[in-house]
Amino acid sequence: MDVNDRRLRELYARWLDGTTQAGFAISLVAFLLYVGGVLPAYVPLEDLPRYWALPVHRFIEMTGAPSGWAWLGELRYGDALNLAAVALLGLVTPVCYARLIPALVAERDWLQAGLATAQLAVLVAAASGLVAGTG
Amino acid sequence: MEIGLGVNAAPWWIWPIALFAVSFAIGIVAVLAGVGGGVLFVPIVGSLFPFHLDFVRGAGLMFALAGTLAAGPPLLRAGMASLRLVLPLALVGSIGSFAGALVGLALSTELLQTSLGVLIIGIAILIWRSRGADSADVEADALGALLRLEGEFRDPAAGVTIDWRTHQTLLGLASFGAIGFVGGIFGLGAGFANVPALNLLMAAPLKVAVGSSGLLISVINSSAAWVYIHRGALLPLVVVPSILGVMLGSRIGAKLLGVTPARVVRRLVIVVMLLAGLRALSRGLGWM
Repeated sequence: MDVNDRRLRELYARWLDGTTQAGFAISLVAFLLYVGGVLPAYVPLEDLPRYWALPVHRFIEMTGAPSGWAWLGELRYGDALNLAAVALLGLVTPVCYARLIPALVAERDWLQAGLATAQLAVLVAAASGLVAGTG
Repeated sequence: MEIGLGVNAAPWWIWPIALFAVSFAIGIVAVLAGVGGGVLFVPIVGSLFPFHLDFVRGAGLMFALAGTLAAGPPLLRAGMASLRLVLPLALVGSIGSFAGALVGLALSTELLQTSLGVLIIGIAILIWRSRGADSADVEADALGALLRLEGEFRDPAAGVTIDWRTHQTLLGLASFGAIGFVGGIFGLGAGFANVPALNLLMAAPLKVAVGSSGLLISVINSSAAWVYIHRGALLPLVVVPSILGVMLGSRIGAKLLGVTPARVVRRLVIVVMLLAGLRALSRGLGWM
């Protein structure tokens, strides 16, 4: 097997492992703070069953829950903090690609480096909301 | 005031506990079948839990993302997920997925669900009636050689080492564009289509196909996840127990993949695809 391939796989696996476990740990802590009542909730847990069977647009209308990037300004609430933790999982792959690209360049693997750079651009565009937008 | 259906049901804290248990079990099966798990999660949670389908679909996408992220490291280290294979296919799949998501908003859901059901059942039957290309004794084509889509995989269950390379690479890339497009329309990771495309079309060994499919889903769903985040379709009480459960289950599934015979994985893939196909078909025809 190509030693370089194994090294790249190990590099990606190490970053994927670290960032995913960090996301896992942050999600767990944020969730415990939320359901344990340590942090106040934007929509109180006891009230959620009244709203969780509604379509998302009705849910937002009825509860005033943040959408788009608005939750970033509400991190003092347990539910918004949990959204931030979940969003971190959406950043795991871009972070891993960002680490992989210099390694591919160092290997002078220009074709794969170009593919990884293009993929990172797609992921960043998605995260920015510019491509998909808010509904 | 308009209220949801879960008002008179069990207390709220029952649901995250139940979600965790269900997600843990699906996480194990999903890795073995090479799917993101959303295709199992959405119908099960959508029919047995009180949440609106908007939140279930959002959680299903995050569920598939979390499960495949967690399974990625052991699959990569065992050589069952090929980074070289994933890089070009994920790029094409991501672009296709974006286009599919935009088109899907404008088309009849019933028509698309029915079409998807027929397609998946057809692929499941195709796999069932054909033999997997585990020996991978094919000649690399020019594009596959240029991208160096090759590798060496030691299968501990079979006790053999497989020196593999892909062929029909251009057709494979086009297929992943189409799979991403279809996956984007339905909000699925489309692992059920990734595996046959990698194994039957491109001649990657079945376990490499299953492992790489998981990594592909983690990249493609990372793009789609932001659509749900931006649209407010993620309910933390639904999403977080689900992703915690699937992350634990997927790790166990990834370890089992190495020692599970390819024959068992293949059967599991067929069963998962038939279930998913029947569900899509029944929804499209208004049976559920």
